[in-house]
Order: sequence, then structure tokens, then C-alpha cells
Amino acid sequence: MPIEFKKNRALFRDEVSVEEAEGLLEWLQTRSTAKVDLSALSHLHTANLQVLMTAMANISSWPKDAELRAWLEPALKRGE
Amino acid sequence: MNSEPMNPLPPNPLLEQFLSESADLLEATAKKLMQLEDSPDDQGILNELFRCVHTLKGNSGLFTFPEMTRVLHAGEDLLGMVRSGRAVYSRELADRLLDAMDYVGLLLGEIEATERIDASRALESQRLAEALRKLMPSLLSNGDTATAAGFQGASSIAADARNSLADGPGAVLPQLAAIPDAARKSALAQCRDGDQLFWIAYRPQRECFFHGDDPLNSARHTPGLMWGRVLAAEPLPSLAELDTYSCLLGFDLLSNAPREELDQYYRYLPEQVEIAAVPAQWLAKGQREMSGPGNASLAADPSRARSEDDEASFNRILAAQRQILLLDDRPAWHAGRLKAVAEVLANLSQADGETSARTDIQAALAEALTSSHNTLLLAWLDTWTATWIATWRAASKTMQPEASLPCVRGADGRIATAQTEGTADAGPFAESDPGKVRADDQIKFGRRAEDSITGPKSLKVDQAKVDRLMNLIGELVVSKNALPYLAQRAESQFGVRELSREIKGQYSTINRIADEMQDAIMQVRMMAVSFVFQRFPRLVRDISRKLGKEVQLVLEGEQTEADKNIIESLADPLIHIVRNSLDHGLETPEVRLAAGKPATGKLTIRAAQEADRVVIEIVDDGKGIDPAVIKQKAYEKGIIDEAALERIGDQEAINLIFAAGLSTAAVVSDLSGRGVGMDVVRSAVEKINGTVVIESVLGNGTSIRISLPLSMAVTQVMIIESDGQLFGVPMDNVVETVRVPKTLIHTIKQSQTAVLRGRVIPLKSLNTLLGIPAAPRSNSDDELAVLLVHAGSAELGLLVDGFQETMGVIQKPFNGLLSGLSAYSGSALMGNGSVLMILNIREIV
Repeated sequence: MPIEFKKNRALFRDEVSVEEAEGLLEWLQTRSTAKVDLSALSHLHTANLQVLMTAMANISSWPKDAELRAWLEPALKRGE
Repeated sequence: MNSEPMNPLPPNPLLEQFLSESADLLEATAKKLMQLEDSPDDQGILNELFRCVHTLKGNSGLFTFPEMTRVLHAGEDLLGMVRSGRAVYSRELADRLLDAMDYVGLLLGEIEATERIDASRALESQRLAEALRKLMPSLLSNGDTATAAGFQGASSIAADARNSLADGPGAVLPQLAAIPDAARKSALAQCRDGDQLFWIAYRPQRECFFHGDDPLNSARHTPGLMWGRVLAAEPLPSLAELDTYSCLLGFDLLSNAPREELDQYYRYLPEQVEIAAVPAQWLAKGQREMSGPGNASLAADPSRARSEDDEASFNRILAAQRQILLLDDRPAWHAGRLKAVAEVLANLSQADGETSARTDIQAALAEALTSSHNTLLLAWLDTWTATWIATWRAASKTMQPEASLPCVRGADGRIATAQTEGTADAGPFAESDPGKVRADDQIKFGRRAEDSITGPKSLKVDQAKVDRLMNLIGELVVSKNALPYLAQRAESQFGVRELSREIKGQYSTINRIADEMQDAIMQVRMMAVSFVFQRFPRLVRDISRKLGKEVQLVLEGEQTEADKNIIESLADPLIHIVRNSLDHGLETPEVRLAAGKPATGKLTIRAAQEADRVVIEIVDDGKGIDPAVIKQKAYEKGIIDEAALERIGDQEAINLIFAAGLSTAAVVSDLSGRGVGMDVVRSAVEKINGTVVIESVLGNGTSIRISLPLSMAVTQVMIIESDGQLFGVPMDNVVETVRVPKTLIHTIKQSQTAVLRGRVIPLKSLNTLLGIPAAPRSNSDDELAVLLVHAGSAELGLLVDGFQETMGVIQKPFNGLLSGLSAYSGSALMGNGSVLMILNIREIV
């Protein structure tokens, strides 16, 4: 699974496709304090990004891929 | 970067396909344009035309042919506007588009020959593209964003963002403020003065996920990407109301890729993307203007812009340069290598805000080049590295962590390496375009279903392959013909009758199959005359417009088929004839009206099959040919003498237009009148064993009739015997065979003649003509065999020893040493394995 859902933490891995977006949305809708770990992520489908942005998800770690991080961090950074 | 290939490039299948496909598309485009001329309101044709040009443009974008893409892009934009009713179709527009298509055709030819487009074409391409753009209603006055007008159908989602861009490039300036300083600085460092950057506002459609788009992915892989950000194009709803499958995000991107490349990249989403040009200097300007007074010091301090990534990549680059300088081999490109290093260092120092360093580096480089020691460069590198790291360390201690990481590829080292490579083989200060380097692996070769061209279900086969089949079947026919001889020998020599019958049985089966096979292969080589005809609508249109004549062209029997070689060799003579008809034959509307004819002239080109020949007629209803004028002209040019002037009849006079050097046009134009033309037509037609006949009625028009064999592959020959040898004479030359009693042959002066059917026919002995020292043999009734042939326009009797059957042979031209033998047109193999020489009657008489 590209997204591994733990109790209160979602681990994103490799490429997360559009199919994951619905599940991610449902999962986030029930957990307002959930943390998202993107460190192993290499690409995120736009639909997922949109869910994360809407949920203003708490990102616990950013992607190791610097270029992807540069895209995601400004968009997902909280409290801005 | 000029990469002249040392060796011929290996054939690129993709390029080959591109060339053949583009040729088809060009043809279709020209055809559609002509059709559109007749029915300018036909939306269907317009759509097809648009699709043709669109596909052409898209395909050209697969390769680096910006000249071609530029013109096609302009054409596509223009057609797009015509399609959506924002521009009006006109003759002028059609002219410009046809010009553009001609130019593209020219480029295709060039690519086919050299696999590249000469850089000198760029100017022309610009001119053509401008001419096309001029025809567009000027929605936008600024050239930079003029292309934006080409996008059809504004998507409501991004309407406001688009409008702000459409206001002109100035509107982009505030947008540039969105770029973090760090990103802007390093983007600026990658640019040279005068570089053009592009601001791309990408607003995906809401439903784009359903189309399989992943906008973030598209944005990430944008060619030449320097910076980009994600933003919510619309306010995001609450989490409970979010529709996962409706895209609400948008992207702002900054790229240094060429415009063509960006257009190509986003060619499937033109309506979702807005691209505006941003001169590179604006990045610098933007910085000064946009940073508030409090930030001024920030901007002035270059160390502020550094991130950890920067440090890592700077170090990597410096290490790489150091390594290059330490190399102790001295290859031929050593100087280039040094220059490349120097350039990289200069760029690095500039990126770091150190502008004075360049002169130091230049001096060090000059020293290194003359002394062939790198010490000075190396020393500079080391000191600079040391000071740089020192200042860096100091600066980073006081520096706040960056608010956001710049998404600048140039800073992550990858591009830096690309740049190193780019400059290393380009030499010192050549343009290196990092965008291009990257673009190579990002070109999308996938095509969408709607791009496929629906065409006839046919194979494109190289002609050589068909020719080989043809040769093989020829050999098969010959070896098959050996079987009856074998059967005969089995019976007469070995007395095995049973075997002989069996061989004959097998022979008839093989014979049938071989015949069918030969027929089938002939069919493969058959081509419709439409191949030649299709260029006429354009030709007639162009010429008649140039001459100020109104001409209606009627094409008939386009589906008539003949051998490919015949069809191809027909093209040039036909063009000559059509030009002649338009120039000399058809009158201007005023003259026509005065003569009581409709103002529009009619030119009919008709093809039909008659027995084993194709007949093509070119008929015009023009002023016809005046025999008196022709006679006079021919006399003036010395083609006929005074006696002939009096003697020849009208038809013969008209036939004089086939004589070389005759031109009736008073003024030499670029169309006709140079005195070459009809004689060329005749010789071209005769070369393929055809005949051409002209008929003309003064005042009513001219009709030219060309008759051609269906196929040249199989020649019907009559086999004749002379001095014990067999020769073949093409049946096209044979008029009749007669036996003339020796007593009826008279000798007038030195030549023999006989009266046949009331006409005096000169007789010549084939033996004499071929230099065989033997007299023609007569039969028991003391009659000589006379083969009546026509050589050119004259008829002649050939004295031979005897006649044999006629047969279809596959004639092989001579090559090598024998090719100089003009007395024979070729050779053919007979069933018994012997070689039959085919006489070239016209040459020997």
C-alpha cells in the first residue's frame, strides 16, 4: 500500500496514486489530529495533495526528495 | 551546439515515420485548403484542416525543429481562430497558409537529406509566422503574448488568473513577487542576459482527474522548470465537503525552456495553460522593485540566498571542476575543457554575487591556455573555495532558516551537472541551454487516440522490395519456360513419354500460378493517376491567379491505374501541358467575354484506360492554336524551310509545336515561352513508350491526348531472325510484317524502296544496320521479309530473314560496360535460357 495508515499516523510511500485519495479523505475526516509522514514519498497525485491541503494535515516529516519537498512544503505548511 | 555528425547518422525510425507522415499530412492540408476555397463555410473541412496542422505541429515538436514548429504553430493558431469564428477565411489567408505549407515541405526535404534544419532558415520561419499572425485579429497588441490569443475556449476555472496575464507582460511582474528571493536569485544565475523566461499559469480543469491527468506531475516535469508553486485556484471547501475527484488546485511555474517546447509539452491542455514571456532581467528588476525597503539589505547580501542545498551543490560543482583541472592527459579538446571550467567557475561566482571574479578567471584561463599549466586556475579555484566556504559558514550561523525551500532545480546539483556537460563540449561561451538537455528525456512520445490519422488500410513498402519481387517473378517465368524444352528432350532424346507428359502437366500448373503471381505483382505496382492529378488544383489555382484568369479545373478518371513508373514519369509532361494551356490557351475573362464565351475558362484533365493503354486528355476551351502563327514562327526560327511553309497542312503545323526551340508566346514569362516545353513533353512521353497527339480548333480550344502503356515491366516484343540470330523488336514499334517479292524492290539512288499500300517506304537491311556482313535471306518464293516499323514519325521497312512469335518479356536494361550499347534497349531471357537482345529501333535507323 502506498499509504500505510497507522493509529494516528499515515505513512506515504513511493508513488501515491489518485485511487488513494478517497481513502485518505475518509481517514483524515475522522482524525483531526492525525500526522502525515511523507519522508518516503516520491510522487503524490494532485488529488491527494488537494486532500492534504484541505485537511491542513499535520506533516510530521517532509519528503526526502528535495524537489518534491519544495513543491509540497509551501503548500502544506501549517499556520501560514 | 552544432553537432555535425562525422559519420552518417544511423537511420532513426521515428524520424522516418515523422517524415512520411508529415508528407501525407502536408498533402492533406493543401487539399483541404483547396476544398475550403470552394466552400469556405464548411466547418467539417475546417476542422480536418485544423487537425492536420495541429498534428503536424505536434509531431514536429517531437524533434528539435523549432523553425518548423514556429510556422506550424502560427498556422494552427490562425486556423483555430478561423474555426471559432474570430478570424475570417480569405484568399489572402489561404495564400499565406499555402506559403507556410510549402516552407514546411521544404524543411521536410532538408531534414530528409541532412536530418537537421539549417540555422539560416530561422529568419524565414519568423517571417512566415509573422505573416500568419498578422492575419489574426489583434486581440493582443503585444508580441510576447500574442500567441495567447490562439488558445481557444477559456476555461472558467482559471478565468481571472488568465485575464491578468492577458493584460500584457506587465501583469506578470507582480506575480513574480510570489517567487521566493532565493529561488529568484538562483534562477537568475542560470540565465544570461536576454534570455527569455516564461511564466506559466496552469489551471487544470476540475474534471481533469477523470482524464487521467495528474497536474502536479505535469507541473513537476515542465521543461526548463526553474520554480513552481501549488495554489488553490478556488477557495478550498471544508474537509467534509471536499470532492476528491474535482481538481481545485492550480500551478504557477517559471521556466526557461523555449516557447515551442512549452507549447509542445502542454499541447494537450492549451486551454488550461497560460504562458507569458518574462525577460530574464525582470527577475532582477522584480527583486529590487518588489522587496520592501526593509528587505533591501537582504537582497544585497548574496549569502542570504544560500540554502543547505546550495552549499552541497556548490561544493559538488567545485569538486568536479577541480578534478577536471587535475586531469593530466592532454587530449585535443584540452583547451575546450579549460574554457568550460573557466566558464563554470565564472558562472558560479556570479551566482554567488561576485561579479569581479570573472576577470580574474579570464586571466587565469589565458595563462593556462598559453602555458598549458593549470596551476593558476587551480590556485584560483582553491582560494575561492576556501573563502567561499568561510563566508558561507559565517553567514549561515546568523541566517534564519529559510521560510520555504526554493523549488529550484538549478540548486539541487542535477542541473548544475547538466550545465557543466553542456558547456564542456560546447566550448567556452557558447549558448548552453539546460532546458534542452533535460527536455530530451521528457518528450512524451505517447500519442492520443484522436491524433491517429484515419487513412486507407495500406502498407508502405519500399519500391526496391517490389522491384525485387518483380525480378524474381521474371526469373521464375523464365525458368518455368524451360520445362517444355525439358519435356521435349525427355521424349525425343530419352524416349520416356510418360515422364514427358507429367512434366507438361506440372508445367501447366506452375504456368498458371506464375501468371497469376506476375499479375498480382503488377497490381502492387499500379498507382492511380490521382497521384499526379492531385497537385493540379493547387497548380491551376496559383497560375491562374498569377495570370489574372478565371479557370475551372475538372478532373476525371482519377482512379485510373497504371504502373508506378509510368505515373511518375507522367508528372512533368502533364505540368508542362497544363501550364501551357493556362498561359497560352485560356484567355483572360475580358477576352473571353468579348468572344462570347463564359468568363471562366474550363480545363479538363481526363484519364481513362483503353485496352492495355492509359489515355490522358488535357482539354481546354481557350483560344486554340493558330496554325498560321505556328508556321510563321517555325519558319522564323529555321525549323522549317520556305518550301515547307507553303506545303504543310494545318494539322502538321500544329504538330510543329512539338519541335524543339519553338515558342509562340510573345513575351517570355516565368511560366512558359522559353521554347522548351512541348518538345520536352514529347520526348518524356516517348521515353516511356507513349504517344502524344494534339488537336486544336482556332477559337474553340485545344486537346492534347497522351497515350501510355499500362506497364513497362512486361514488354511485348516480336522475335525476328537475322543471320541466324534472334532479336526482339518492341511491338510498339511494329506496324506490320509483310513479304515483298524481290522484284518489287527498287533502288533509288543508293537506297532501296518498295511501294506498300500506295506509299513509298524506304527499306534497310537489319544486317547492314547492325554491321553484320550478310545479305538478307529470301524464302523459296524469292520474297524478302519486311518488318514495317515506325521510328519517330517516319515509317521504315527493315529487311530481316524471318519472323517468329511475339512474346511478353521482362526487359532488363544493360548495365556496366554494355550500357554504352545504344543499339539495344536491353535484354531478356527466353524460355530455353538463351538471351534475347531487344533492338532500339529509333537508335539504329
